[in-house]
Amino acid sequence: MGPLIPNGFIPDEWNNIIAIIIGLAFGYILEASGFSSSRKLAGVFYGYDFVVLKVFFTAAVIAVIGIFYLDYLGYLDFNQLYIHPTYLWGAIIGGIIMGVGFVTGGFCPGTSVCGAAIGKIDAMVFILGILIGVFVFSELYTLFEPIYDGYFLGNQTLMDSLGVSPYWFIFIFTIIALVAFFVVDQIRKKVKKVFY
Amino acid sequence: MINRNLAKVLSFRYKILALVLVLLAAGLVLLPKYVKHEGISPKELLSNAISPERYISTDELAHKIIEQDPSFLLIDVRDEESFKKFSLPYAINIPLKKLLDEESVNYLDQDEYDIILYSNDHFYADQAWIICNRLAFKNHRVLEGGVNEWFATIINPEKPTENMPRLAFDLYSYRKAASMYFGVAYPEQARPAVSTTNKTKKRRVTVRKKKKMAAEGGC
Repeated sequence: MGPLIPNGFIPDEWNNIIAIIIGLAFGYILEASGFSSSRKLAGVFYGYDFVVLKVFFTAAVIAVIGIFYLDYLGYLDFNQLYIHPTYLWGAIIGGIIMGVGFVTGGFCPGTSVCGAAIGKIDAMVFILGILIGVFVFSELYTLFEPIYDGYFLGNQTLMDSLGVSPYWFIFIFTIIALVAFFVVDQIRKKVKKVFY
Repeated sequence: MINRNLAKVLSFRYKILALVLVLLAAGLVLLPKYVKHEGISPKELLSNAISPERYISTDELAHKIIEQDPSFLLIDVRDEESFKKFSLPYAINIPLKKLLDEESVNYLDQDEYDIILYSNDHFYADQAWIICNRLAFKNHRVLEGGVNEWFATIINPEKPTENMPRLAFDLYSYRKAASMYFGVAYPEQARPAVSTTNKTKKRRVTVRKKKKMAAEGGC
């Protein structure tokens, strides 16, 4: 039956309303769990706080397990879900830029807005930086276009490109996540505690 | 007051949660796999197949055409040659071979019109009906007896004999009137002006493509 909106279980008009509600909830939970602090976010790079890694890894694992159970039980059609298109080099270069921005600025785009909302000046400066980046990118778009549009691999998932059974992939992915949690906990214990 | 037992259990909470995740993921691996089929289940197909709604009689169809009922599409599943030789008024030709072409599916998979399938008898039309039903296309019906029955009842109705009930005579006069609508001339009508050409006009039907949007998302 699912996804609910494309299959008409929820009228199309609700699309934006639901998006706003989910967005509000997302922002609230980001802030409530301390993600509006750039020190906490940057902690993952310095080894004193791995909350970012844990949260996003857990979210990915839970979502993928949930989706595949729903798909298995017939409540959700996996093939109808939106899969983000892969532009290989665009993603790699963009990922590096994003990572550098993350470690220097201490925010990712979403959390910077969250931080700005509670009045953090560094977050506001970060947003200004994003806007400048957007401006530079759009001005030089013709220059970047071959990378931006090129190396298109289609709407691929890891399961497609690796050619493994999704169920085994999820199992291995879960184990990797749990091992990663354990390892980062050991690292955190060794690194000098930072108060923030 | 600290509940010591609870505190003891909670000190293991990450291990318990990790175990739950592993179990759930392992469950996905261990679950018996099955091939999902598209369309409706065999039970549903059976209940559609034995439903009296499945067939439409030639009399009902003639009535619909004469009344210029706009709510149905007549689809001829015979090959093009037979379609050109003779077809029912306003019919659209979708040969059985081309049933699942994209262009044909646009006609078949929609729920604005009732779709009436026919062939020479109802053999091919039935096959088309089953395929369409299996794919969960809606509102499909089969013309009972097909073109042969159409000839036998509407175009050339059998005259009832004197010992038949009155209903048979009513039906005959209805069918005769219908056949006159479709261009059959009877000797007792002395009017030579009635045209006997049975030209099939093609009705233009706009079929909207079914909206199938992929859900979009992003970070």
